[in-house]
Amino acid sequence: MDIIKSSRDNLPVLQLKGRFDAHEVEPVNAWLAEHTGKGEARIIVNLEGMNFIDSTALSTLVRGLKNCRERNGDLHICSLQQPVRVIFELTRLDKAFDIFPTEEEAAKGF
Amino acid sequence: MPYENYARWKTEAITEEPKLSIVIPAYNERERIVATIGAIASHVSDLGFPWELLIADDGSKDDTVALCDDLHLVNMRVLRAPKNGGKGSAVQRGMLAARGTYVLFADADNSTPIEEVSKLLNKLEKESFDVAVGSRAAEGAEEGKKSMLRKILSGGLRWIVRHIFFIPVKDTQCGFKMYTREAAQKLHTKQTIMGFSFDLEILYLASKFGYKIAEVPVSWIDAPGSKVDTRKEVQRFLRDLMTVKMNDLKGVYR
Ligand SMILES: Nc1nc2c(ncn2[C@@H]2O[C@H](COP(=O)(O)OP(=O)(O)OP(=O)(O)O)[C@@H](O)[C@H]2O)c(=O)[nH]1
Ligand SMILES: [Mg+2]
Repeated sequence: MDIIKSSRDNLPVLQLKGRFDAHEVEPVNAWLAEHTGKGEARIIVNLEGMNFIDSTALSTLVRGLKNCRERNGDLHICSLQQPVRVIFELTRLDKAFDIFPTEEEAAKGF
Repeated sequence: MPYENYARWKTEAITEEPKLSIVIPAYNERERIVATIGAIASHVSDLGFPWELLIADDGSKDDTVALCDDLHLVNMRVLRAPKNGGKGSAVQRGMLAARGTYVLFADADNSTPIEEVSKLLNKLEKESFDVAVGSRAAEGAEEGKKSMLRKILSGGLRWIVRHIFFIPVKDTQCGFKMYTREAAQKLHTKQTIMGFSFDLEILYLASKFGYKIAEVPVSWIDAPGSKVDTRKEVQRFLRDLMTVKMNDLKGVYR
């Protein structure tokens, strides 16, 4: 999996590409900890280019979401490819996250 | 990638014979199976032919079966087993229940990404092979993350399989294999081994019965959460090799 860190409108953005499974959660956890530990946590996770995500990886994102919301922030997800969109639906996590078609909309959505 | 194809597969029962049946053997897979079903359903629905998905439960003690039933996918069937009988028994149950012209079995961890399915299908459909086995060893395969111990063990076993048992496949154990329905029925009806080495018996039989076997390089990720104890499995593998040979000599496969 490729991990690209950037920002948009002063919001931290994490872009993940490839296959996101239990082998790959550590750096993502570290990034989430770094950006959800202080102040109002508003972050974007861009999943363009991701074609598979397993349950451990999903839990990692859910934990990030919880941490953000506890700090009156949010974790916005954007650019889901079809397989990942279907996985979000089947696990009903599409109801838990605010999911946006593009990174731009994810940033505007705060 | 129109989402509508998946949406239709999810809600409209197919009426014609499926071109492809996909069987996922599942033992205590509550953590891994939903994501795999999602990846498969999304990809295969876009290939443009009728297909069905079969979850061959293997007496799971967790809520794998309920979880799958809850997904409400009309073209997915969940086959229950009263008790755990080993991966081979689950694959057998799925293979014998499959209605597709071609039948694939794929592990519940999506360790061979479903995107590889067309490589196998082409071998059967366009090049008239009877059996196409995904291979982590054939030239061109990407091994991804595979531990050193795994690599050494599989090298030794490979040698025995090829030079003593004349099975023309480098990687017998890959959990990604496709058969014509006719071959699947015949091979799995004769199957006697229900543990992890069932692949070996099936391939031995396939070559004995004269089926055309293709070994197709596929990518492979050593997926997290494997429930296999490597040392125990290697011992069993060797024992099962002997069983296959003895069975053959005794005429069990006639
Ligand atoms: N462990 C185990 N798996 C079973 C059994 N019956 C069916 N299976 C299925 O067989 C498939 C392979 O299981 P894994 O635990 O991934 O084993 P593996 O792929 O050989 O091992 P790894 O390469 O380490 O992943 C999965 O789809 C399991 O759910 C059983 O009795 N025991
Ligand atoms: Mg596996």
